[in-house]
Amino acid sequence: MLEGGRIGARQAVFLMVSMVLPTAFLFVASVTSHLARQDGWISILLATLAALLIARLAVSLSLRFPGKTLFQFTEEILGRWPGKAVTLLYIWWYIHMNAEIVRQFGSFVVSAFMPETPIIFIELLITAIAAYAVRNGLEVFTRVNEIVLPLILGSVVIIIFLVTPEMNMKNLLPVFEYGAVPVIKGAVMPAAWMGEIVTMAVLIPYLSRAEEAHRIAAAATLITGFFLAVTQVIDIAIFGPEITAGWLFPALNEIRMIHLANYLERLEAIQMGIWVAGGLVKICVFYWAAALGSAQWLELKDYKPLVLPLGAILLAMSITLHDSILDLFDFLGRYWGPYALTIFIAGIPLLLLAVAAARGRGGSPG
Amino acid sequence: MVRFIKPFKAGLPGRRKPAAGQGGGPGEHREGDVFAGRGIQDRELSPDLEINLLMMKTVFSECSDAIFREFYFAGDERIKLAIVYMDGMADKIQITAQIMRSLMLDAPLVEQDEELTRARALTTIKKLLPIQHIEETNNLGKAVDAVLSGDTVLFVDGHASAIINASRGWEGRNVEESQTELAVRGPREAFVETIRVNLSLLRRKIKSPDLKIEMMKLGRVTKTDVAVVYIKGIVNDKLVAEVKERLGRIEIDAVLETGYIEELIEDSPWSPFSTVYHTERPDKVAAQLLEGRAAILMDGTPYALTVPVFFVEAIQNPEDYYERSVYSSAVRLVRLISLVISLLGPSLYIAIVTYHQEMLPTALLLSLAAQREAVPFPALVEAVVMEFAFEILREAGIRLPRQVGQAVSIVGALIIGEAAVRAGIIAASTVIVVALTGIASFTFYYSASVSIRFLRFPMMVLAGTLGLYGVICGVLTILTHLATLRSFGYPYLFPVAPFSAGDMKDVVVRAPWWVMLRRPRLIGKTDPRREAAGLEPSPPPDGRKR
Repeated sequence: MLEGGRIGARQAVFLMVSMVLPTAFLFVASVTSHLARQDGWISILLATLAALLIARLAVSLSLRFPGKTLFQFTEEILGRWPGKAVTLLYIWWYIHMNAEIVRQFGSFVVSAFMPETPIIFIELLITAIAAYAVRNGLEVFTRVNEIVLPLILGSVVIIIFLVTPEMNMKNLLPVFEYGAVPVIKGAVMPAAWMGEIVTMAVLIPYLSRAEEAHRIAAAATLITGFFLAVTQVIDIAIFGPEITAGWLFPALNEIRMIHLANYLERLEAIQMGIWVAGGLVKICVFYWAAALGSAQWLELKDYKPLVLPLGAILLAMSITLHDSILDLFDFLGRYWGPYALTIFIAGIPLLLLAVAAARGRGGSPG
Repeated sequence: MVRFIKPFKAGLPGRRKPAAGQGGGPGEHREGDVFAGRGIQDRELSPDLEINLLMMKTVFSECSDAIFREFYFAGDERIKLAIVYMDGMADKIQITAQIMRSLMLDAPLVEQDEELTRARALTTIKKLLPIQHIEETNNLGKAVDAVLSGDTVLFVDGHASAIINASRGWEGRNVEESQTELAVRGPREAFVETIRVNLSLLRRKIKSPDLKIEMMKLGRVTKTDVAVVYIKGIVNDKLVAEVKERLGRIEIDAVLETGYIEELIEDSPWSPFSTVYHTERPDKVAAQLLEGRAAILMDGTPYALTVPVFFVEAIQNPEDYYERSVYSSAVRLVRLISLVISLLGPSLYIAIVTYHQEMLPTALLLSLAAQREAVPFPALVEAVVMEFAFEILREAGIRLPRQVGQAVSIVGALIIGEAAVRAGIIAASTVIVVALTGIASFTFYYSASVSIRFLRFPMMVLAGTLGLYGVICGVLTILTHLATLRSFGYPYLFPVAPFSAGDMKDVVVRAPWWVMLRRPRLIGKTDPRREAAGLEPSPPPDGRKR
């Protein structure tokens, strides 16, 4: 058995929320506001809807092949070599995505808190912790997340309450000022983010009760969508669409707005805690998926020997992918959405499901 | 000749090889003859008293505390007896009054009309011994073990067996108040060094035949009594099997403290955190047993081990359950915050003062800056030096003779604290943080406090090099490590992760007893129900009001 861990339904929901929310919380508002202006929250709702469909798709596909991960059932659907090729694509995607995340992570810490520290040092530290967690298996970072996520969500809620005095709901008006097209455009990137729920197809074999997978995926998506939409509304209500789009990290500035009774201020440390802790879990999930996938692709008995090499690749890629934080943002805003969404999140799973149905592979979807 | 000696020597505990230079002296010659090439463990006793005594004397040669006493049954020279016991291990009054007196003086009076013969002597003697527990054996090894445990062995001439008389009695400490785990309210007694006393303390608290005490001996040389204690029907049988299995694996010459056992049975030997709980409070052990845990007690130490342990037990204290729940919950919060302070206090201070001054309110920042202006060292060096000084003081405080205690505390507090600040070597704020951290680390379970004090130093280095980011990474590393830990197979972070809503009643808060209806979910599965529902007290109904 490559991965001996089993996780419960609540643990899985928490994990899937942590996999999306902490990064999205920080980056999505800026990009969405840029495209959809004050209607960004509608974009988020649209994206949530899309993510629900994607979750449905991934889970249905996965449930046809009980006990098999995404990396295994491709072979069953497409045959040995085409399947292996598709699996390799997914492994690439997980590594690439994770490298982007590590880079986002490093960029955030460096630009917001420690401008003089070399980014590689920040990334090295977090990758090392992630490697330690991944080496110890799914259950370990799931348990870490069980402690971390309630703290994150708790502090987000507290922050939301604390910034209410700064909000001006009139900023959200007028609705649909520029029509529906910008709103749909704005939904692409959050959809790509929330579509990472496709990772359920890797996780399902390790659920203690696989039949709950549909509910788990839906619950995680709805929680994520809710928090993202609320953040979007608040950012726009505080800053207005122009300024929000101009910030690199609107959520950070949102916290900087907190001034309560002259002593409760400058709570950015909380934001850093949220981001580092949540980012760690997110990196762990994709890191684990990449390690597990590689081991299954190579038909190894254990993925542990792959953890360190993968970490080195991650780190190297995260440094070489982009020249600057602006390049990173440009890539994320312009290319990431279509790239991830059309190929990995919707495209291939849809194809797989179609082929599986046509060739009659796997059991009926649960 | 050497061929004969070797197996005997191998049979002797702790003597694998014959000592050098004892090639073939006359003494060894005799040993070889007496034991005829067999170890004492499977050597049977002889009907000849002289041979039995010779064997015992050979085993106990150069043991000046082994006492041999030969006498006649009722003064009758036909029936020769001998007792062997260890001076200081056996109760002399009992030996004199109940063994020797009844056999030498009282015997003829009781057994007047029966004719005493050598053949019937053993049965008669067994009838005549007013001892609460006797045992017959024909094995030399058992007789030797009995003598070493403080029992008295009685040999009867003409019979190839010996009677082991329970006569253990030695000097020991009385049951006293716990020295290390104090409580304002609650039982004061603590375990002592004698396992029998300790077991009786437990039995007095749990008067149930389900309280099982399984004895075993550990230590090839020391042959220390070790007891595995659990409550059948509450404990998970697999846990008991696992405990016994791990204890059975131990092959060591000596166990002098439960710490030896702890290190040999824990799940993660390299972790800074202990996955075995130790306590000297019987009430604590009883509570642990009642939650479905198993305890390991050992002769010679007042510290008992309990397994499995969860990390949250660090902030639990027996007194929480004796005081009212609202107050206990508040105190528990104090302990939780102390735990955080004692891990993060100095590192957060270093991070904020060095990298994140903007997080401080301006007035505080100015006052801090003014204090630190004259200090020649960076905050990291200052804090590490002071923390280390505190560790020195703490260690000295434990080891120093009581008479010089005052001198050290005066020197420690005044010189290191006050003078260092006055001289401008250390900022006053650093001293405050270090002192607070030091005090905070004593509010919770001592073993966890040791781990956390140890982890404080790497945390400080992380804070000094990477600021808040380093601190957060450090905390996440510790958290990840805690998530990997298991105690006898049970996840260490239970009930927080894996989360168990019902068990959160006894983590950050201590819910009233009428709410905690169930034992901890993971360990108390066998008999989950602790009490009846609906026990919440309330004033009497209208009819009974005065």
